Amino acid sequence: MAQVVIMPKQGQSVESCIVSEFKKKVGDSVKVGDVLFGYETDKATFEEESQVEGTVLAIFYKDGDEIPCLSNVMVIGEPGESFAEFAPSAANGDAGKGAAGGTEPSETHATLGTVRGGTVSAANGGVERSETVSEGSSPSAAAIPGAPASPRARKLADEKGVNLDAVAGSGPGGRIIERDVLAAAAAQGRLSGLAKAKMAEGGLIPGEGSGLAGTVKAGDLKVWKPNHTDIPGEGTEFETVKMSNMRKLIAKSMYNSLQNTAQLTHMLGADARKLQALRKKAKKALEEGKVDANITINDFVCFAVIKALQKFPEVNSHCLGDAMRIFKTVNLGCAVDTERGLMVPCVKNSENLSISELSKALKKLADDCKKGSINPDLLASEAASFTVSNLGGFGVEWFTPIINVPQSAILGVGTMTLRPKMEDGKVEFVPYLGLSLTYDHRAIDGGQATRFLKAVATEIENLEIDL
Amino acid sequence: MPKALYIDPEVTLRPQEHEIKFPEIPVMQYKKSVKDELKEGNFTKEDLLRIYRDMFTIREFETMLNLVKTTGGYNGVEYNNPGPAHLSAGQEAAAVGMAYNLDTDDFIFGSHRSHGEILAKGLRSIQILPEKELKKIMEEFWGGATLEVAKKGYTGKDTKELGVRFLIYGAIAEIFARTTGFNKGLGGSMHTFFTPFGIYPNNAIVGGSGSIAVGAALYKKVNRKKGIVVANLGDGAMARGPVLEGMTFASMDQFHTLWEGDMKGGLPVLINVMDNQYAMGGQTKGETMVYTFPARLGAGFNPEAWHAERVNGYDPLAVIDAFRRKKALLEKKEGPALLDVVTYRYSGHSPSDQSSYRTKEEIAAWEAEDCIIAFGKKLIEAGVATQKDLDAIQAKMKETIFEMYKLAIDPVISPRMDLVKDNELLGDMMYSNGSVDSFGDAKPDVLMPLEENPRVKQIAGKSRFYLDAEGKPVSSMKLYNFRDGVFEAVVDRFYKDSSLVAYGEENREWGGAFAVYRGLTEALPYHRLFNSPIAEAAIIGTAIGYAMCGGRVIPEIMYCDFLGCCGDEIFNQLPKWQAMSGNILKMPVVVRVSVGSKYGAQHSQDWTSLCTHIPGLKVVFPVTPYDAKGLMNSALQGTDPVIFFESQRLYGIGEQFHEGGVPEGYYEIPIGEPDVKRVGKDVTFLTIGATLYRALKAADMLKEKYGLEAEVIDARSLVPFDYGKVIESVKKTGRIIIAGDASARGSFLNDLAANIADLCFDYLDAAPAVLGSRNWITPCHELEEAFFPQPEWFLDIINEKMVPLPGYVPTGNFTAAQQIIRAKKGV
Repeated sequence: MAQVVIMPKQGQSVESCIVSEFKKKVGDSVKVGDVLFGYETDKATFEEESQVEGTVLAIFYKDGDEIPCLSNVMVIGEPGESFAEFAPSAANGDAGKGAAGGTEPSETHATLGTVRGGTVSAANGGVERSETVSEGSSPSAAAIPGAPASPRARKLADEKGVNLDAVAGSGPGGRIIERDVLAAAAAQGRLSGLAKAKMAEGGLIPGEGSGLAGTVKAGDLKVWKPNHTDIPGEGTEFETVKMSNMRKLIAKSMYNSLQNTAQLTHMLGADARKLQALRKKAKKALEEGKVDANITINDFVCFAVIKALQKFPEVNSHCLGDAMRIFKTVNLGCAVDTERGLMVPCVKNSENLSISELSKALKKLADDCKKGSINPDLLASEAASFTVSNLGGFGVEWFTPIINVPQSAILGVGTMTLRPKMEDGKVEFVPYLGLSLTYDHRAIDGGQATRFLKAVATEIENLEIDL
Repeated sequence: MPKALYIDPEVTLRPQEHEIKFPEIPVMQYKKSVKDELKEGNFTKEDLLRIYRDMFTIREFETMLNLVKTTGGYNGVEYNNPGPAHLSAGQEAAAVGMAYNLDTDDFIFGSHRSHGEILAKGLRSIQILPEKELKKIMEEFWGGATLEVAKKGYTGKDTKELGVRFLIYGAIAEIFARTTGFNKGLGGSMHTFFTPFGIYPNNAIVGGSGSIAVGAALYKKVNRKKGIVVANLGDGAMARGPVLEGMTFASMDQFHTLWEGDMKGGLPVLINVMDNQYAMGGQTKGETMVYTFPARLGAGFNPEAWHAERVNGYDPLAVIDAFRRKKALLEKKEGPALLDVVTYRYSGHSPSDQSSYRTKEEIAAWEAEDCIIAFGKKLIEAGVATQKDLDAIQAKMKETIFEMYKLAIDPVISPRMDLVKDNELLGDMMYSNGSVDSFGDAKPDVLMPLEENPRVKQIAGKSRFYLDAEGKPVSSMKLYNFRDGVFEAVVDRFYKDSSLVAYGEENREWGGAFAVYRGLTEALPYHRLFNSPIAEAAIIGTAIGYAMCGGRVIPEIMYCDFLGCCGDEIFNQLPKWQAMSGNILKMPVVVRVSVGSKYGAQHSQDWTSLCTHIPGLKVVFPVTPYDAKGLMNSALQGTDPVIFFESQRLYGIGEQFHEGGVPEGYYEIPIGEPDVKRVGKDVTFLTIGATLYRALKAADMLKEKYGLEAEVIDARSLVPFDYGKVIESVKKTGRIIIAGDASARGSFLNDLAANIADLCFDYLDAAPAVLGSRNWITPCHELEEAFFPQPEWFLDIINEKMVPLPGYVPTGNFTAAQQIIRAKKGV
């Protein structure tokens, strides 16, 4: 019997995924474990492996399509088996009419009609008001960036916080009309109160929602717009490559951070002799089997930061513009460099962890990120209360990290450098660790930030850990 | 068509012994000298000197304007007058002679070249008005603003002298577009007039007064008002349709054969041809016309040849003599009359005219006969005055005109309307927006109590809603229909307003071509309801004159397609006079226009758009009995010109919308309010005219087949139009089709669409779509389905332009490509 392959739901806030590439085409035979297609959310990429053996009978989408989670993507079975009942419109209970409505609307619409089929047929075979449509599944047609949109659709998109670039138009000539936006709005969820308030100030448009049930939060608002225009030299001197979904997300959040916060950076060195000693000790402990984690310098620094944060709750916070969200736990975000780009997973309740537990947690997160199997919910900027970004491994001494909004601050950890230090009338070269604290001056004043940074240094300098 | 007039073949078809005989038309028969006139006691010396003064005043006035136009100043005081100046130097004796016998109750209408006539009539009125009355007129005019200026620098105590200053100042100020002018500066040179002196509008359209003056005479007759009406026209105007149609109307036999009692007899109207030899540059005698003497035209119109006469317009006494006799004739109801007053204009058509069409010798020869010089000589010869006396008159008038000139060009004393600062000022003058029960002050002439009227009784037995108590459709015979709605409003007003008259083609016994007036014949005497000649220009032109004088009137144009026949009257006259008069005149004219179908290209056109394009008209197009009655009541209660369109498709239709049916009593529906005929949420249909019913059918189809609900709005009025309900609807639905039977190109549908796109832009889910008729001739009835908007076309548009309808197969081609191709082909 034919087996249907659905689009998995990766994290509770993920409503749909984009197929990056189908690795199999109709007629290909597949074995268990074969990669069927790659797909990405706005935060991570995944590969879907086949659970069954057989022949690909049908693929309902094409590369680049945005597919609602849990929708039927492809069918695998024995050649000759029926698969029409698995077509996505069939899932809505009206396959026959949908096909008719979609494929033969009128001569002029023939091309777009097929694409539109699913949308049009979504509601009982008749065109109903978008409210009805939106309650069903989202339009399955592909979004065409820069597609025309009616003024009413644009207005509604503004109000509902819908990104028109991601909406498929079902109007004449592929125009995005009201019902398309309503459907998209229903799919992406609501706009948070703060996001609405911020939008009212102007200059911002909503991005994709990262909140509960896809609620567009203040941090999701964007001013940035992708801008790829054809210019001379294309193809010969250079090639214009579309940004990946994740790249776009990083770009959006970084730009948003710099546009919408008052951030500045303080730099301070911390005597790292103790740190070096601890690292040595940890290495030895690992070798001796006393601990089961390879505790790195970064792990110790994070450990120190967690301690400092507990003394400075106002730094362990989110800045909401007109309110502060002070965290009772330390959800430590840790920047991870991956092939796909920067990722910042977080360790929840990190203050409860021992150094080796912390070390293991951080390592697992980094590995998950690199593999692409990270739980998207842990990547949300709202998940972390504070972030540490460590570039010390690359020899960077100081830098100005960018705050992961709505967090109030981020600590950049640099490399260790030898600096002369006078102790007991004697000058000695001492390793110093570069600490760069970027903080949002809306949330934290300079004195407070300095005190916190000093506290981090003090914690590092006086770290006492039994291993 | 009246049964009382038997067309007897015995008389009509048999060989006759006689020919058609034309009466003789006298030519230049006045031979009296000044001494003869004095001897007969027709004039005093003072009268004669005043005639001289009046003629010279006109000459100096025109000289002043000519100098301003050609030299940029007068007596060394600079002024630039960019407006027109059609001067009448040379024609002074004709003007003064015309005015001499007229009272303020006698009205004159003029042309583009009428400065002389208004001055002559004004000066005469000042002379004959009791001082107290004159004072009152001047003090009350513009709240005394004009008089206030005319008084400046005047130290005398003579009301008449002040009156002369007032007249000259008011006229110059008007010509120079000052708010203190006779028409607030909104009329200008070609339209200056002053009704308290019996001076009615001059008209910049050649021959425009030809039918309007006849309407004024009709007003005087029907409303039993004193006085005669004079239309001063040029010889060139005798070629114009409105003049010939106006003369036809004024010549109607029925005034003598059918009108009864004191209404029996001819109209008190005199067509006075200022025969100055030129129609702009064309020479009427020998070149552009054939009559030789304009007086000849009278012979074509009635057996009396309009009592036509050709008189010497270079001798004021000859003109006065003719007018005295003609006026007496008109007062005896023996009118109308025609005078051909021979004169000559020295100046060109306007100061820019180099008179290339005539020789200097010709001008010099006429100047040698100059009417003012010649009359002065006669006065000296007769011992009435010395040259010194005449010089003194000249000096005084020159001084007065110069003084008034200086006051009129002073921007502080005589300001212009500031339309830049007060952007809405003129807009607020376009309509009078009055509410007047009756324009007549008498008891309305009717033939029976309303309740005894057979039509009224018949209507009483009809169902005023299209369904009976059980919800079944009422049979057409028992159904109160559109006709009944219009009838009820009209008959009600006939019993309220004694000034109301209605006429048009087949308006009386036939009851109108579409039987709307059936029953009115029984109710009204001829003078309130009559058949007109098939002369649309006269039908509307006379209505304008009738309303201008203070009466209410319903002229009827049988088919919308005939609007072209009265184009000037509908587009240039009717809409303009309220604002152009500075809001002195009202224009309570309700023009009923029936929009046809079935009868092909020249009888099935919806030309509502032409009317909406012209500022100053109100335009309504009700399509239900309830709306028809309510809007007709509003139109008839108002004081503005209303073009009242009715669809021939709908005369028999019953009321389907108004709960409880059409009310029996009086009610008004404000002009300008569209009406939501069906509530919906997915798309709006805004319709003009009978298309409403096709839109409703489309709405049914849309609902049944596609589950979409259309909101259907009936525009009802086109001008004015309140967009409120439409905006609300579009905010809700996001989509709108604006539909009507007019050919789409250039129609008012586009105007609505543009405004809606503008006002609702952010709410639109698709561009407003216009659904009009094709840009073709209207084909014959059997082919009309391809021409007029059909219910399916609404769905076509929705599918093509708004939201694709699943499985829909279009009936028409509404694609963008086809739109472009059609436009490219001009269809």
